[in-house]
Amino acid sequence: MAQNVLPRTVQRLIDTFARLPGIGPKSASRLTFYLLRDKDNLALDLAAALQEMKANTRLCPVCFNITEEEPCLICRDEGRDATLLCVVEEPLDVVAIERSRAYNGRYHVLHGAISPVEGIGPEDLKVAELVRRVQQGNFREIILATNPTLEGESTSLYLQRRLMHEKVKITRLARGLPVGGDLEYTDEITLSRALEGRQEL
Amino acid sequence: MYVRHLSLTNYRNYGRLELDLSPGSTLLYGSNAQGKTNLLEAIYYLATTRSPHAEQEQQLLNWDADDPTQPIVVGRLTASVVAQGEERQLEIRLIKEQKLGQSSFRREALINRRKVRLMDFLGNLRVVLFLPEDIQLVTGTPSQRRRYLDITLCQVDAIYCQALSQYNKLLEQRNALLRQLAEGQSSKELLPIYDEKLVHWGSLIFARRALFCQEMGREAQRIHYESLTDGVESIRLHYLPRLLGNGQRRNGVAEPLAELGSWLQMGGIDQEAIRTRFTRELQTAVPQDIARGVSSVGPHRDDWLLEVNGRHLGHYGSRGQQRSAILSLKMAEIQWMTQVTQETPVLLLDEVVAELDAQRRSLLLYYVKQAAQALLTATDPGMFTADFLRQATSLAVQNGRVLTSSDPIS
Ligand SMILES: Nc1ncnc2c1ncn2[C@@H]1O[C@H](COP(=O)(O)OP(=O)(O)O)[C@@H](O)[C@H]1O
Ligand SMILES: [Mg+2]
Ligand SMILES: [Zn+2]
Repeated sequence: MAQNVLPRTVQRLIDTFARLPGIGPKSASRLTFYLLRDKDNLALDLAAALQEMKANTRLCPVCFNITEEEPCLICRDEGRDATLLCVVEEPLDVVAIERSRAYNGRYHVLHGAISPVEGIGPEDLKVAELVRRVQQGNFREIILATNPTLEGESTSLYLQRRLMHEKVKITRLARGLPVGGDLEYTDEITLSRALEGRQEL
Repeated sequence: MYVRHLSLTNYRNYGRLELDLSPGSTLLYGSNAQGKTNLLEAIYYLATTRSPHAEQEQQLLNWDADDPTQPIVVGRLTASVVAQGEERQLEIRLIKEQKLGQSSFRREALINRRKVRLMDFLGNLRVVLFLPEDIQLVTGTPSQRRRYLDITLCQVDAIYCQALSQYNKLLEQRNALLRQLAEGQSSKELLPIYDEKLVHWGSLIFARRALFCQEMGREAQRIHYESLTDGVESIRLHYLPRLLGNGQRRNGVAEPLAELGSWLQMGGIDQEAIRTRFTRELQTAVPQDIARGVSSVGPHRDDWLLEVNGRHLGHYGSRGQQRSAILSLKMAEIQWMTQVTQETPVLLLDEVVAELDAQRRSLLLYYVKQAAQALLTATDPGMFTADFLRQATSLAVQNGRVLTSSDPIS
């Protein structure tokens, strides 16, 4: 019944929206019709923003955070402590830690956590890059700040083993974090306490 | 503890139920297929977050409400539980959603209207359930017997419950890793990471199960020998921990496992000793585990068995002996839970009184009277003594409704 009633281009946009996480067919239609009727150029602005984001962002070749510049602003910042390295799962974790203002070192983004069930092994993450960076760099402390989930904990244990023989102190975020929680959703106070209370491994 | 009020929405054959319950004994009676078992199941589900019957939780949703054209269908179970003078509202929501032509199912648990993790939900209502099918604890599979251990322990031991949940997740990861190793797709460096934690949580599970079997076995023997069989039958509960790989299997694997069970039950066995042993067995089994893609050692393969007068009850016991032994075990469960928590659990007895002889029936009803609350079902209230019926509240169950005395019985 519903077939061919809508122009193909409109249907295509609905279907594309529906592929986004958290958006069902109803919201997809609502968004599409909103853009269709909109008079403030929102659709064109959105298209331009999407295009620009895809064209201008890449991974920083040093820390693998998302960036527009190479290397990224954090890696360039001379005011930061270049002997401290904080290892996180996702770019959003960098945002969360920055918001806490409790940390002034560098980052390394793994882009995930080890999970055999999902077929994710160390070689699917920026692990080899981390090891190389630690071997070549001049770090005094590596802070493992993976999520306190089973996957995050296993990743952290694995990294500990991989970095065991490097001459560097390895610490883990203190257990102020709710177990099973995500770093990204942790409030700033909890996070800055966890950073202060980090423990040597 | 007791349930003061039960409310069900779109649950089984209850479209909507609001039911006040009183402390003491309540008899739910009615013909077959009216909803008596479903009502006990609902209370059991609120206590354990598991169903003793449904293979899939979705089956708990009322099928008239489960309309596939609806974007969302919600079933709701709520109990107001009074324990140690305080009332708490427990709620579980069963949520089925349709999205992009696919249906998904999830559950939410709430205490006093605030969402909590299922793990934290457990322990707020404790029950002991008697079913005619309990005999499967003797005749059924090891997985049914493990399920019994887990559900009973999780109601009183939050740490056990956490250990179990962590262990199961780790096991899933480990098994996936074993399959990848078999295909040469992963490195062996990862295995020790999972094994270290598997041993940590698994040892805790071994130790707590061993203690549980010991305490339950002692209590069951006391009841069985002294009260139920007048000194004729002794029963023993053997814990069979899978702390051995298949490689070292002697003929009839139960014997070395029973020895390990006794070893775990010896006073002074510390977690460290269990961990050392578990680690060693896990490592020995690695080549075989990789070849088969599953983990052969660990509490996920545990079992237990009952012996009557030195003989395996499942192999040699008559049907009557099996029934009696299970009855003793369930009564021991009431005693055990009461001792551990200093409070009687809510007793749920589904059609079990009918099949008992006079002596067993009066012993069971003794426990029923001791409990702060017991709910019993029967098709025929006539099998209870007038004395019992005078003390109990009787409620008729008819086609998904519970008729209180003010309702006309049609
Ligand atoms: N998901 C469901 N939705 C609606 N009715 C159900 C559902 N599951 C079972 N039933 C019905 O519930 C009835 C069985 O109820 P039950 O509590 O076992 O009866 P009894 O009173 O004999 O113990 C049956 O009529 C069955 O069809
Ligand atoms: Mg029934
Ligand atoms: Zn960078």
